[in-house]
Amino acid sequence: MEFYLYLALFSPLVGSLVAGLFGARPKTLLTGLFTSTLLFTALVSSTILLVHILDGGDIIHVELMTWMATGDLYIPFGFVVDQVSVVMMMVVTLVSTVVHIYSIGYMDHDKGFNRFFSYLSAFVFSMMILVMSDNFAGLFIGWEGVGLCSWLLIGFWYHKESATWAANEAFIMNRIADLAMLIGMFLIYWTTGSLQYDIAFAEFAHVDVETLTTIGIFLFIGAMGKSAQFPLHTWLADAMEGPTPVSALIHAATMVTAGVYLVVRANPLYDLIPDVGYFIASLGAFVAMFAASMALVNRDMKRIIAYSTLSQLGYMFVAAGLGAYWVALFHLMAHAFFKALLFLGAGNVMHAMDDELDPFKMGGLKKHMKWTWIMMTLASVALAGIYPLAGFFSKDLILEVAFVEHHYILYAVLLITAMMTAFYSFRLISLIFHGTERHKQHGFHPHETYTFVLIAMSPLAILALVAGFLFKGSYIEMVTTLLPATEYHIHSPIVFWIMTIGTQLLVGLSIAYAYRKYEHAKIDKKIEDNFFYKLLINQWYIPHFYEEYITKPYRELSMIAWKQVDLKIVDASVDGIANIFYKTGEATHNMQDGNLSTMLRWMVAGTAVLLILAVAFTTGYLMLLLAFIVGYLYVNRLRREYVR
Amino acid sequence: MMEITLSHYLILSTILFAIGLVGVLKRTNLLMLFFATEILLNAVNIGFAAISRYYGDLTGQMFAFFVIAIAASEVAVGLGLLIIWFKRSGDIDLTSMTSMKG
Amino acid sequence: MLDNILTILIFFPALAAMLGFVVEKGSIRAFGVSVATVEFVLSLALWYAYDPSVVGMQFMESMPLIPAFGINYLLGIDAISLFIIVLATFITLIGIATLGEVKNIKNMIITLLFLEMTMIGVFSALDAIVFYVFWELSLVPMLYLIGAWGGPKRIYASIKFFLYTFTGSLIMLVGMLFMAYFYYQATGAWSFSILEWYRLVLPENLQLWLFVAFFMGFAIKVPMFPFHTWLPYAHGQAPTIGSVILAAILLKMGTYAFVRFSLPMFPDAAVFFMIPIAIIAIIMIIYTAMVAYAQEDIKQVVAYSSVSHMGVIILGTFALNVEGITGSVFLMIAHGVVSGALFFLVGVIYDRRHTKMMSEFGGLAHVMPRYATIFGVMMMASVGLPLTINFIGEFLSLLGFYKQSHILTLLAGTAIIVGAIYMLTAYKKAFFGEVTNEKNKNLPDVNKREMFALIPLVIITIWLGIYPKPVLEPINNSVEAIVSLMNEKAITQEAKNRIPDPMAAKVSTPHGGTH
Repeated sequence: MEFYLYLALFSPLVGSLVAGLFGARPKTLLTGLFTSTLLFTALVSSTILLVHILDGGDIIHVELMTWMATGDLYIPFGFVVDQVSVVMMMVVTLVSTVVHIYSIGYMDHDKGFNRFFSYLSAFVFSMMILVMSDNFAGLFIGWEGVGLCSWLLIGFWYHKESATWAANEAFIMNRIADLAMLIGMFLIYWTTGSLQYDIAFAEFAHVDVETLTTIGIFLFIGAMGKSAQFPLHTWLADAMEGPTPVSALIHAATMVTAGVYLVVRANPLYDLIPDVGYFIASLGAFVAMFAASMALVNRDMKRIIAYSTLSQLGYMFVAAGLGAYWVALFHLMAHAFFKALLFLGAGNVMHAMDDELDPFKMGGLKKHMKWTWIMMTLASVALAGIYPLAGFFSKDLILEVAFVEHHYILYAVLLITAMMTAFYSFRLISLIFHGTERHKQHGFHPHETYTFVLIAMSPLAILALVAGFLFKGSYIEMVTTLLPATEYHIHSPIVFWIMTIGTQLLVGLSIAYAYRKYEHAKIDKKIEDNFFYKLLINQWYIPHFYEEYITKPYRELSMIAWKQVDLKIVDASVDGIANIFYKTGEATHNMQDGNLSTMLRWMVAGTAVLLILAVAFTTGYLMLLLAFIVGYLYVNRLRREYVR
Repeated sequence: MMEITLSHYLILSTILFAIGLVGVLKRTNLLMLFFATEILLNAVNIGFAAISRYYGDLTGQMFAFFVIAIAASEVAVGLGLLIIWFKRSGDIDLTSMTSMKG
Repeated sequence: MLDNILTILIFFPALAAMLGFVVEKGSIRAFGVSVATVEFVLSLALWYAYDPSVVGMQFMESMPLIPAFGINYLLGIDAISLFIIVLATFITLIGIATLGEVKNIKNMIITLLFLEMTMIGVFSALDAIVFYVFWELSLVPMLYLIGAWGGPKRIYASIKFFLYTFTGSLIMLVGMLFMAYFYYQATGAWSFSILEWYRLVLPENLQLWLFVAFFMGFAIKVPMFPFHTWLPYAHGQAPTIGSVILAAILLKMGTYAFVRFSLPMFPDAAVFFMIPIAIIAIIMIIYTAMVAYAQEDIKQVVAYSSVSHMGVIILGTFALNVEGITGSVFLMIAHGVVSGALFFLVGVIYDRRHTKMMSEFGGLAHVMPRYATIFGVMMMASVGLPLTINFIGEFLSLLGFYKQSHILTLLAGTAIIVGAIYMLTAYKKAFFGEVTNEKNKNLPDVNKREMFALIPLVIITIWLGIYPKPVLEPINNSVEAIVSLMNEKAITQEAKNRIPDPMAAKVSTPHGGTH
């Protein structure tokens, strides 16, 4: 089994390195095929491991080699395949295999074809390290690794100012969170003496709640960065500057879920500190609604989906925060499938529309792109949580969790968000695929994408359709051997049915409303002048706030630090001290005017001063003072006389 | 009549030294500077001789002789230089001798 | 031969440099490269022969110089100095091998070989006077490098560099003399041997004074805020090779000396000054990072980033535990490799365009993809990405200091944020976007000669990032010896608490966790 573990882990790396060798060369189809094949290998290996674990096989735990060892610190490259990581491995390898094959079509005409596959595979490798590591430091390698790859891929089209800006924003914002993560790790190390999950978690039982709370908070801040939770969320929408397959893989299905994974992985910690858990849940609910609100009005197809991702991450954090770790992980998995599908569909639309992103310029595309239409609709239905698609089983479950745990406010927020989700999803579908063919006015000639791309997408479509009712049973059975196996059942069947059917109805109504409203894509001028509209389209003015009150002051402060402080204070005082000596020399070199009597007078003055000093030292300090005054006056007189 | 004590000699020596010092400082004529130097040296000589007598130790007087000898040789060399300088520049004023300016 | 290997290492380049005067101008390059190669191979032999399991100094050599005052020609190394020596010979080798077209190349190579002698001398001297001599001698070739091959303000820069560091060193010399005097008073014999000084337990107030005296010399060399302003000028005016050696090796003299002198000799003072120094280190980290962000000249960005990273090294050193000090020593090596490489890279573009202003560049990734890639790798190493050499050092340094102060570590940790800000911004300005400047349209990519310098550095950066054990383990052993010496010597209870005994932890608990 270890062989399969290493195969799953390292085949993406091999792919990345080989593709990287051809990085600067013009497109060679081989790199795409090669990396895809290796990814498929990883997928097969992961499946074998999954079957092994499903059969009740032992957890596979290997240690490749030592990484860091000093003092009492010991960090190996250790990898573990257990019930949780194997789920993540499946998600990662599956979605990335699909995305790789898809990208062969999508990046067909791009100059950086080889480079793209190198980055993409490197990302998968980092993600595999992240999920498979058996210690926090290893997780952090993957954590930063995916950050690097995300930077590379967002800024993939580096000639675009907006792309490179977004890339830097993403990296730096993630770094802020990573600092918290590092601090959390330091605290874990000095508290438990180890960064290994098993040792640290076992030790937590003997640690005081205060320390645990601190650890929990810091780790969660780390998670907030990767999972783009408020207030570190702005990078995710801007990250849509990257190529669409990247958005599908990194900024929807895998990397952004790393934060959720971290909380799930650290469940023994968060179980001990329910207060922090409740905070996580509340923040999650807030973000779910907050992000959905921005998706309501946006006019950029990819950004809408990005906000939807953000919103769904909020759902996951609600579940994780309330202790329903397996629910969070389940939604993570289901979400990965349909959200990746949605993005890939959006990529097809973009290709058809020459990279146009405004859905108001589209319309009626279902005629030209039947399969894309079907798949995106499917994904949206799943996202909305309609029975029997994947979203129903995972998302409605989170609503139930909130209800069963008696957090009714959270429940209400999530319910409203669910309606908003349905609304904006179908607003998008309606604008793109239905109604009149507005794109004709703009001179677009849409066409369906390559068949092999559609075939590559089909596994995701199937999974979005069946993942819920097909896998739920065996998933729960497997995962709950590791995670707390809390069942979330509403005891009264009447309440249960009212809730389920009620939710379905509300969601259905939202969908219908969205269809009706946007079928003709009328832009309502009155709404656009509305205060709330402005608030939402400007993303609650948060990016503006960051620009005005953080970025700009930092830039200005830096300028001040350099021009004013460093050059004018620090350096100037150094030069000032040097100048004192220099100036003294300048000022007194006239003393040496070559005239013998002047020199004699100076000599006499010096002797006199020395004499007085000698006398003064033997007779007392008062005299010394006197001597100084006299000496000073005398020297001064001489100076005035001779130094011109 | 009061007795002449060591103090009187020393005071005389100091006064002479002061006169010499002022001469050295104020005079600009090189020849006068030599005279002033002689006064300085002799002031010291008086001091040496007096203290030597006071302690009954001949070392001081011996030193006074040394000083006289040195003063003589100094004048011999110095005056020689002075004459050469006068021949060169036609002037023995100190203020014009500033070629060692810093 | 191994008995005298340190002497050979020190004086071989100097003798070869003498010989260099009679070598023909056409073959001086080959001569320099072969001397540097031999030297590098010798240093590798030193590493090979070094036994990491032995505690204490190895390859000791001793010869009386002024017996009346106990001044001996005393050499010896432990793992802390070993790797810096290897780094010094390595950087000198690739530096000479990749020298571009410069005027008076003969003089330059001779200067570099002299510089190599002084560097190795500093890191292998165990006698304070010998140490001091090499310490000061190292200024001369550097002064010459900046003054003779520098930019337009080279005279100002070189004199500033020389006088500033020289002033600091004089205060350090006074400290050394007093230390020897105190040793004489305590034992009745003169000695300048650092190893002898280690054994001396000093009263606390004396420790404080001596610590400050030594600190002045080291702090200016590092350079620590607010004594750092000579560095940007020196880097700004120095030729590429000068900057590389300055950043990679010469700055390390200061931090090395902290570990070699200040910590084991004045443990109580180290504890006393720990917090103030940590605060200075944090100012270095954040403040210089901000200044770096404001720069318009890419070389100045790298120069200020150097100062910022030195802050982390200082912080790790004053963590006063094995994790932190090991991390900081490792970070010295790492910083040598990474900032050395970054200065090489800046030199590459300077050779082509004769400007270092970022506004002149833009879109270089289009025309020089290989250059952009290598720069990218080194930049990521510089911002401390895991699996690069810098991360190990920064991680351990911060981890170590976290034991001493949580809040200060949090502040110092912003290094990873502010570092990313200035580096990514600079990278974006220079490499991303469209090629707007006509002059950049046809720039040749990195050539073979430059590759020869850069590829080994890239390999080391990643190799030691993934598998630091060959370097980290010996360093760890040497550091453990220092820390346990400090623990043993500490007088005050405060110091005993702050400096954990690494040996004790090993015995009591398997994980050694204390909180």
